[in-house]
Amino acid sequence: MKKIIYIAILISGLANAQITPEFEIGAKGVFSGNLNFNSEESNAVTDFSDTQLLMGLSQKLYNNWRAQFVLGLQFPDANSNLGEVFYNNIFMKLEDQTNVIKVGRTLAQTNLNEFPTLRDDDAQQFVYALNPFSDGVNTERDQYANVLDYTHIFKQRFFVSIHGENFYDSLEPDDFRLNSMGLSLVYRVPESQRWNRNIVQQIGLSYNNYFTDRPGYSNDFDSSVKNLLFSTILNLKPDPIDFVDFKFQAIQNFGWDEITELNDYFDYTRTQSTSLFGTFRFLKQKLERPHYQISIGGGYKSLGNLSTNSDQLIFITNGFYRMGQNFDIGFQYRYTENEGFTQNLFGKNEHRFQLALVYSFSQIFNKQFGDREDLLNLEHNYIK
Amino acid sequence: MDRRDFLATGAVSTAGMLFFPGNLLAKEAKTANQTRFAQPLPYTMDGEWKEFELYIDLHTHEPAPGFKYHTLAFNDMIPGPEIRVNSGDKVRVKFINKTDLNHTIHWHGIFVPWRMDGVPYVSQLPVMPKNEFIYEFVAEPEGTHFYHCHWGTLMHMQAGMFGSLIVENPKDPIKEKFPYEREYTLVYSSHDTNYIREEMNGMLERMKQRSYLMKQGRFTSEQWGVFDNKEQFLASMENGYQPPYVTNRRSNAELPQANWFTVNGKSYPSTPYLFIKSGENIRVRLINAGAETHHLHLHGHDFWMVADDGVPLEHPWKRNTVPLTPGKTFDIIIEGNNRGVWTFHDHDTRKVTNNGLYPGGNLLALVYEDLPADELIISKHSGNPMYNPNAGMGDMKEMDNQKMGNMNKMMFGDDKLPKIALDE
Repeated sequence: MKKIIYIAILISGLANAQITPEFEIGAKGVFSGNLNFNSEESNAVTDFSDTQLLMGLSQKLYNNWRAQFVLGLQFPDANSNLGEVFYNNIFMKLEDQTNVIKVGRTLAQTNLNEFPTLRDDDAQQFVYALNPFSDGVNTERDQYANVLDYTHIFKQRFFVSIHGENFYDSLEPDDFRLNSMGLSLVYRVPESQRWNRNIVQQIGLSYNNYFTDRPGYSNDFDSSVKNLLFSTILNLKPDPIDFVDFKFQAIQNFGWDEITELNDYFDYTRTQSTSLFGTFRFLKQKLERPHYQISIGGGYKSLGNLSTNSDQLIFITNGFYRMGQNFDIGFQYRYTENEGFTQNLFGKNEHRFQLALVYSFSQIFNKQFGDREDLLNLEHNYIK
Repeated sequence: MDRRDFLATGAVSTAGMLFFPGNLLAKEAKTANQTRFAQPLPYTMDGEWKEFELYIDLHTHEPAPGFKYHTLAFNDMIPGPEIRVNSGDKVRVKFINKTDLNHTIHWHGIFVPWRMDGVPYVSQLPVMPKNEFIYEFVAEPEGTHFYHCHWGTLMHMQAGMFGSLIVENPKDPIKEKFPYEREYTLVYSSHDTNYIREEMNGMLERMKQRSYLMKQGRFTSEQWGVFDNKEQFLASMENGYQPPYVTNRRSNAELPQANWFTVNGKSYPSTPYLFIKSGENIRVRLINAGAETHHLHLHGHDFWMVADDGVPLEHPWKRNTVPLTPGKTFDIIIEGNNRGVWTFHDHDTRKVTNNGLYPGGNLLALVYEDLPADELIISKHSGNPMYNPNAGMGDMKEMDNQKMGNMNKMMFGDDKLPKIALDE
């Protein structure tokens, strides 16, 4: 009995001596009224999909590495088959100055660029290497996966990443085995230095290999769906008040030759395609804070192996005005055009007008150590 | 051999391997201790002017072994080098700003011409990145003073931009009343290292943008937050400008809460020692360059308060605890009349911590050089029951001498004082 009490005291004593971790909270609220023309989707009075909450707990480890536990949830589209809440981020991250390891569910490297759209999935079919295991009922299964990701950073800017994923398989939802692997090479200027870098802010290549079961092929590589991504962000006008950049991404899907018509979403993600998407963005800053932002962009997706012209086109433009810290009011217009099989699959040409209120917040409390990309750590000695 | 003999033998042999009678009293320890005090800044003569050079740059500082943070440091040291001149000297200081931030130097307690006072937008414009400024003044009044940056003072001072400035009087009344040969300068400060890091990162980022806009002639009063007069400021507000202290600009969630407390830039166990001999007087110049009050208490002695803000006191008085408030300097005389090793520390013990853990902070010691080595041996003078073979210790009474000796060695190391304790 004595021993048990002693152990209990010991544990409680150690528990009391814990260092409170850094506590990061991120929140994004997107509330829009949607008006659709020529669409199969109904209008919406208040659409709050893509609203999300993110929480991260970070601490230094004993050997100068750092660890973070992240838990995030998202409110998906009503008809997404994901329920009321989707836990989009549940992962652990271990990192030091030059290495990053991620384990858990988070964004997969199926997109190397963040485009200035109201919601992350507004140009989904053009900017993501799509999950060939998904039935396409929702967009989250293309963006998020259970990942095992190792990244090594060379000279603060060159990120070499090798990763494996378990993408959600709509036909076998209980299969959690590795079904994708990939490699990416990215040159990226750290966030704190981007505003004044001439021209190249980011440039990257990514290769994703999805281990699909291709009829008639036994070799894993031959039977897989392969995607190659090229992405870049160019500073057209690096300026702290009037900032202009151009973002571009191309995705080549080396799909299966035998898919010449689209019967379902599986065919769509597994057939050969070439996607191009780009945006121009103008950001006006006032007193070192965003004031308003205007962007215009478009994309084209060619599905060249199909028997009927089924190419897709998108045009998207939006503007956001900052009403106060973290709060924006925004407007977005999107036009999408589908031909042939894609029209059968995704509907006719659509005009969508959206008026939105957006709240975005990210803050770290109880901060205890500098980030890798802090100016002090970048430009002076890195402190472990 | 009984246990007491064993311990004593062990102590002698261990100490013999080092520099008997122990690290603290060895010549090497005294030499190393000199690096824990700011060294006088060399000068050159230009006619009747003593010319000094101070530069400011970013620096990685280690207040105690194993903990580092980025700071701003004069001449790559915290505190900056000591400027030591005679009363009436003509002093010229060339100040070079090597950083991407703005700075000035304020000469705290010195009767400088007002345009040399170092207050941005009051007595001068800030010394901009990669620029220089020449400060000139006559060194008066005599006494213990200091210098510090007066730009972004809340952050820049605790980041390390301070140093002592001693104006000596060849006919010093204090020295006449309390003859002394040795003196020490102790500069106290307190630091919120998290606040420093976040503020420095923010300032560096903003200054890069501001410098860019300045070069292009596109930098405005509103962006800078600096106005020619109140009318201009109010007119801007009528046009929709909101001052930075309202809701539209950056702000830290909280004011700094210091988590490191330093003397001469160091925290225990890296703090300096004050060496003294029996019968000797030493003068200690206390400077508070931080934003916290330090209630400094010396064990085993009363000391003489001999100067306040550099002004010699006509009637010195004795005390053993002194509240050193922010911006304050005191001079004290310690008489070597009670041989030993005595701590001198903040009696607000929240400041005897490193990152929240006691002991640490500004804990330091007054050390008598003539202390017999014998007195450092724990087992010879300690009343600790561990060293009394007839004392309790429950089950340990059954231990034989060999085991007891091994256990003591394991728990307490060498049989001598003082030790470094990092967690009580």
